[in-house]
Amino acid sequence: MDPILVGAVAYTPNVVTIWEGIRDYFADTDSEMDFVLFSNYGRQVDSLIDGTVDLAWNTNLAWVRTVAQTDGACKAVATRDTDTVFQTMFVCRTGAGMTDLTSLRARRLALGSKDSAQAAILPVQFLAEAGIGGDDVELLRINSDVGKHGDTGRSELDALRAVLDDRADAAAIGINTWEAIGRDQLMPGAFEVFWESPTYSHCNFTALESMPDERIQPWVDHLLAMDWENPAHRPILEMEGLRQWVLPRLEGYQSLFDAVAAQGITARW
Amino acid sequence: MVNHALVLDLVERVGAVATGATFTVGWGADDPEVASETVAAWCERTGNQLVEVGDSFAVLRRGRAADPLLDLDPDQLPGTRLWMYTNFDCNLACDYCCVRSSPQTERRALGLDRVRQLAAEAVQAGVSELILTGGEPFLLPDLDEVVAACTSQLPTTLLTNGMLFTGHRLERLRRMDRQRLTLQISVDSATPEIHDSHRGKRSWKRAVDGIRIAHEEGFRVKVAATLPAEQLHEVEPFHVFLDTLGVAREDQVIRALAHRGVSETGIELTMESLIPEVTITADGVYWHPIAADHEDQLVSRELFPLKNAIDEVRARFVEHRQRANAAAAWFPCA
Ligand code: SF4
Repeated sequence: MDPILVGAVAYTPNVVTIWEGIRDYFADTDSEMDFVLFSNYGRQVDSLIDGTVDLAWNTNLAWVRTVAQTDGACKAVATRDTDTVFQTMFVCRTGAGMTDLTSLRARRLALGSKDSAQAAILPVQFLAEAGIGGDDVELLRINSDVGKHGDTGRSELDALRAVLDDRADAAAIGINTWEAIGRDQLMPGAFEVFWESPTYSHCNFTALESMPDERIQPWVDHLLAMDWENPAHRPILEMEGLRQWVLPRLEGYQSLFDAVAAQGITARW
Repeated sequence: MVNHALVLDLVERVGAVATGATFTVGWGADDPEVASETVAAWCERTGNQLVEVGDSFAVLRRGRAADPLLDLDPDQLPGTRLWMYTNFDCNLACDYCCVRSSPQTERRALGLDRVRQLAAEAVQAGVSELILTGGEPFLLPDLDEVVAACTSQLPTTLLTNGMLFTGHRLERLRRMDRQRLTLQISVDSATPEIHDSHRGKRSWKRAVDGIRIAHEEGFRVKVAATLPAEQLHEVEPFHVFLDTLGVAREDQVIRALAHRGVSETGIELTMESLIPEVTITADGVYWHPIAADHEDQLVSRELFPLKNAIDEVRARFVEHRQRANAAAAWFPCA
């Protein structure tokens, strides 16, 4: 049987190391795999739909767009444990006195790339749900890595820089970026979180509905068997930012479906 | 005051390189102490590695480097052998002597008590062989006891120029343990000219006689030759000569001349380029026997506990290798 071909977006050179590691993990099994790297999620989703790749390692926005483009004829087959409990953190300068989303009225909020679910699309949705519309808050949009759905984290770092430079009063960032800067512990007196979003789902491996289960299931089973306690598996899990591969939590995508509909975000690019 | 932008820079820069690669972040005119503490804390928290800190920059590695000690042949692991300089004076004054020995050189003997303690601690520290060198050890009046202190603990090699096997000194040799002791005698050429030109008139003949005496007394003899690097390809006639003396091929050690001590030429050996061989002298712990008279390779003035000295050498080796690997990654070959 041909190896399962997985698509992933090259948002850091480390992606090569990670996917070579994952490919090696599947070598000599019943479900060998290879991978193809794309420069952006739009191209990757196109290639999933036209059958170039069997699986796409998609962001939540790429998943929502795949669902839209296939009229739901697709399936999410696996995800990271960390993807099932993703969050957006709203941060401000320490001591700025912000207490919840309503504190943002008449203030400036820095957002990340317009195609970042965690740093742009969902934050606007959370504001709307809190009754804060476009006229109530000044949005500073920082589109520094469009196409990669915020994966590089660069636009979020730029949003934090905007807060430090007093070009914004607050920033909306993913919990992964909040962890990467050491939460509020490495920079005492710099940032504090004033609102945490409910958890939602982030990346998943997406297949088309037409992909036979007997082809994909052994691959998923072997992926889920990757073991944090096994020293041979550990480095890949660490680099990819998870402890355990799990089955997706589909209800965790609902808030993003709602946001995409409300904001009229297109199904492609 | 922590420079907050520095942490944001760290996160951005680490994302731009692959695991194992290094990158540099600068902090301009900020307080280097505060900045380097911030960088170290971030590394600790995020599982990345601080490779080097300068006044206004730090070099970091994404992830952690492999342990350089694991790359070594087990036989090369620092602390596998322990070298001891029994003394620094010598009956010869060879022109390439790496520790500047001569009849005028101060003795600086390690002394029986320290050798005894070192040999005992060496066993505890996992050392598997002791090597005694000088100077010329046979100048010591208590060499037989020094050797016995070693051979009672571990297999031992004694380096000598082999020229002093007469009278009391021959008696001392005869009291040494033939099962546990190997003699290593220096001979540099198959004929007297080259050897004598470096080591003094008639020294070749006396060294060759020394090999014969040692063999007659029932000792295993290794021969070590020191050659200029450019002559290392012309060694076969020399091997044939040593064969005629009855020295086994595995006991014929031919090495390159080092640019150390009174030698004016030779390959450059630095702590960065040398895999360490833990070496003890009366003055301290050194990186390698080739530099046992040189401050630049002094590791510690404290000989005891020996385990600490070995650990320190290993730690420095790891540090050097990781820095060198970072530099190698920094200058990739086109
Ligand atoms: S090389 Fe050896 S024999 Fe020659 S002076 Fe130095 S210690 Fe003495």
